Amino acid sequence: MPPVFDTPAIDYHAFAPEIAMVVTLVVLLFVDLVFEERGRWATATVAGIGLLASVVPVLSLAVDGADRSLFGGAYVVDNFALVLKALFLVAGYVTVLISTDYIADGDYYEGEYYFMLVSSLLGMTVMASARDLISIFVALEMLSIPAYLLAGWRKRDLRGNEASLKYYLLGVFASAVMLYGMSLVFGVSGSTLLVDINQAISRGVDSVPLVTVGIVFIVVGFAFKVSAVPFHTWAPDTYQGAPTPITAFLSVASKAAGFAALVQIVFIGFLGREDVWAPMFWVLAALTMTVGNLIALRQTNLVRLLAYSSVAQAGFMLAPFAVAADIPADRGGVGAATGAVVTYLLIYAGMNLGAFAVVMAVARKTRSAEISAYGGLFAYAPGLAVLMGVFVFSLAGIPPLAGWYAKFVVFKTLLDAGTVAAVTLAVVAVVNSVIALFYYASVARQMIMEPAPEAETARVRVPGSLGAALGICAVATLAFGAFPGLIAQLGDLALLGVLP
Amino acid sequence: MIAQNIAFAILALVATLAALRVVTTRNVVHAALYLVVVLASVGALYVLLAAEFVAAVQILIYIGAIVVLFLFGIMLTRATIGVESDLDNDQRWIAAITGLFLLGVLTFVLVESFGDDQLPGLAGVSREELTAQRGTGAVGDAIFSTYLVPFEVISVLLLAALVGAIVLARRD
Amino acid sequence: MTGDPLFADGFDWVVLAILVAKAVIGFTIVVVGVIFMIWFERKVVADMQNRIGPNRAGRWGLGQTLADGIKLIFKEDLKPDRADKPVFRLAPYLSVVPAFLTFTIVPIGGVFTGGNDGGVELFGRRTWMQVADPPVGVLFLLAMSSIAVYGIMLAGWSSGSKYPLLGSVRATAQMVSYEAALGLSVVAVVLLSGSLSTHDIVAAQAGSIFDWNVIATAAVPFVVFCVAATAELNRPPFDLVEAEQELVGGFHTEYSSIRFGMFYLAEFMNTITMSAIIVTLFLGGPAGPVLFGPPLIWGTLWFTLKLLVFLFIFVWLRATLPRYRYDQLMDLGWKRLIPLSLGWLLVIGAISIGRDAGWNRPLTLVGAFSLGVISWAALIGAMRVAKLRRGGDEFGELSTATERVG
Repeated sequence: MPPVFDTPAIDYHAFAPEIAMVVTLVVLLFVDLVFEERGRWATATVAGIGLLASVVPVLSLAVDGADRSLFGGAYVVDNFALVLKALFLVAGYVTVLISTDYIADGDYYEGEYYFMLVSSLLGMTVMASARDLISIFVALEMLSIPAYLLAGWRKRDLRGNEASLKYYLLGVFASAVMLYGMSLVFGVSGSTLLVDINQAISRGVDSVPLVTVGIVFIVVGFAFKVSAVPFHTWAPDTYQGAPTPITAFLSVASKAAGFAALVQIVFIGFLGREDVWAPMFWVLAALTMTVGNLIALRQTNLVRLLAYSSVAQAGFMLAPFAVAADIPADRGGVGAATGAVVTYLLIYAGMNLGAFAVVMAVARKTRSAEISAYGGLFAYAPGLAVLMGVFVFSLAGIPPLAGWYAKFVVFKTLLDAGTVAAVTLAVVAVVNSVIALFYYASVARQMIMEPAPEAETARVRVPGSLGAALGICAVATLAFGAFPGLIAQLGDLALLGVLP
Repeated sequence: MIAQNIAFAILALVATLAALRVVTTRNVVHAALYLVVVLASVGALYVLLAAEFVAAVQILIYIGAIVVLFLFGIMLTRATIGVESDLDNDQRWIAAITGLFLLGVLTFVLVESFGDDQLPGLAGVSREELTAQRGTGAVGDAIFSTYLVPFEVISVLLLAALVGAIVLARRD
Repeated sequence: MTGDPLFADGFDWVVLAILVAKAVIGFTIVVVGVIFMIWFERKVVADMQNRIGPNRAGRWGLGQTLADGIKLIFKEDLKPDRADKPVFRLAPYLSVVPAFLTFTIVPIGGVFTGGNDGGVELFGRRTWMQVADPPVGVLFLLAMSSIAVYGIMLAGWSSGSKYPLLGSVRATAQMVSYEAALGLSVVAVVLLSGSLSTHDIVAAQAGSIFDWNVIATAAVPFVVFCVAATAELNRPPFDLVEAEQELVGGFHTEYSSIRFGMFYLAEFMNTITMSAIIVTLFLGGPAGPVLFGPPLIWGTLWFTLKLLVFLFIFVWLRATLPRYRYDQLMDLGWKRLIPLSLGWLLVIGAISIGRDAGWNRPLTLVGAFSLGVISWAALIGAMRVAKLRRGGDEFGELSTATERVG
């Protein structure tokens, strides 16, 4: 029978980053298959080169400048998408750098590890461009499922199994809730495209309960992904049990992908209905910041402390969502909130990856992630101690490190909104920043003031790729802090093109 | 429409009772088999909606592959026959209350929004039109034109899941 | 693609009566076929083994099946103490019912040439010569073979003892593995016929013998389907799961009396149904030359003849081939049949696109086939290299017997 089928128009340049990543995946599989034991180092190199090669089309698309909209608007490559794709790819590359020696030294499956890492990154890059419910959901699963598997990569460790299982069970539950919300929203609007949903649900007050339930369910699903309180319970156990490079990857890239999806869905799809989601985000932001910081105060394990700190940082990133609709148009409107979130994500990625890289470097020697093991680090590994100090104080928001600019942008957004709720949230944020400083400073105090445990005075050898990762993160943290104009441009670039 | 309503009522009743039995039975394999009943009822509901392709795929994939995988896992790891006395949940009353609450909210929301809608009468629609809208050809066209990106991503996802599952399950 | 004309004018008592009549006829055909098939198998196997086979119960031993059935009914119905009673009772039905349901989509006759659409007139209504014609017939077939897995799996598990469990787990793994190859080889047929409905597939093959799918798809999907079907049916040479030498009786060890009879029935019902499906999908169903008299009977006659050929082939395989070892069986299913059928599907797809887009036909054929051969060689080469590096010898086999675990 003759086909009655219109071949869709495919813009290969727009898909070039994803195509490069798929090629990397295939090459990874073959290299792993053919080289077996002796060529294992090759898989890390292939993964790294592949990720860098995928950045090239992102840059060329950015230089090209035009927004590309494919498949009726379901897949859009605009500045927001490009900035996020670049973030994911660079964060992925840094993860590959910090994984190289960890995976090679441990008794782990190596080729498959990089395969899963790159496939999760593929999901993230697709997520940055997805503008319809089905694409978002598929991209979410694509980035989550390799992450579930990677969290359990330490097969013989009970903590590793627990990490993966908790992440997986809560993750699929959240996905199920979110999918139900998506089906309700689809039922109201009759289309999966976010712009059509926006038109349908902001039109009038019909079917208010249905839209409310739908929005709430969808936000809950993504709140799990960004580890907002009270959906954060998976985070500390998963971060502790997973291999440390994966912890770094989850806390940075996976969270960023969740935020990207939230920005798209809330700021494009649900824009007329801030009466539903704005209070919800207010509560989520306030709870997340507070609970994350308070529990972090009591941690004795540095990885768990960083886990709770990343929960609290997610709270800061949720704050612009709560006030986005109230920002007046001359201050940037919803675009300013988007810019704040993206700026915070970019800076947070650098600092958090750096902190985890230092954790890994020290753990190579001390074999422990307890804070007490960091005693006296400044005495026998001054470089690492200084770097850790840089990252930790940047996370706390101390100028001239990059973290201060991130917090500054969020505060500016909150104050620009000007409503009572926004100012209250700003006060909560300030209080939380002060609380956070306590435990960040305690890490620094441990490194500088406390004496070193016995027999720990040998020098710490930092392998090449780990050093390179440390260097990249340190440069990012210092440069963006001293010259915030650099990142302000990227934050501004991230204005969405499809705002009503 | 009478016949469709009756058929729907029967299928919905069967599905609900089987779903309740899934969570209340004390035998894991029986729970999986009740799940098969639920999934088969959903497949029959798809047939009622004239979506035959989805119905066949539901049976083929869900019942024929996914629950088979469940049963494989159960049989290879436990294989105990009969009632297991600790297959229970201490929080079952809270869970039941939460479930009832959710049921209430969703029922209210759905009836309030869609209560007056009627399924388009299928009696007046010709078979060609139905096939063009919902048949296998229409689904295939949609997958390869509108939803091409999710389709390609899913194929990579399946490969990643396969690789990861083998890594985690390998005995070495 | 319009479906059975029986329902075109609405549903009334005549339509219902015709449906019931067709179902009864279909069931009768299957049951009589099973009775015949059991006798046929015993006689043919006996002949190949140079002995006589049953010849006491009725002329030429034709009543043997009936006699065995009556004997089974009178045997004691054992239920093991540790068995899971409800599932134990349910399992045989899960094997029998899909076997019959699959037969409902097989067209057993009809004239498809000369502008006819293969229907017959009954009480003033026109209907196809098959019990049902769902528009997703082929998917229905695959779905039913997926459900048939449940019968075996639950039978083994619910028996409550080791050998049945082991046998059923192996059988389940085998059947699930070969379902993929089964489905992929059918896709080639669907590609050429443009429809999932068995009626349309048969109609598309009604022209000449070169329209039969076995030739139109260049025989590879046909071979893959036959091998996969044999494995799905747990017939020799893939019958490790019920081999007496290995597993006592496999999944039906603990079954006796009529329940065992139902498994036995189910196996032969499945064989007949699968042969009928092979004839429908690949050999044109009722297609064949009309020699004399009314054309209508020739459709059924040709169908029956082709069916008998395949029944004979299945029995022939039983009598002659030795059994496959389990790991060889899984190897065949996953590493050879699936890549082969998938690769062939791509080749056929490329040729179809080329035909529709007007490419140069010989060039397309050569290009597609050579691409197929190259990728097949690359795949096999990669697998050989991987095996070599894992410690096998240059033939790709594992060198030590201890590594051949089932």
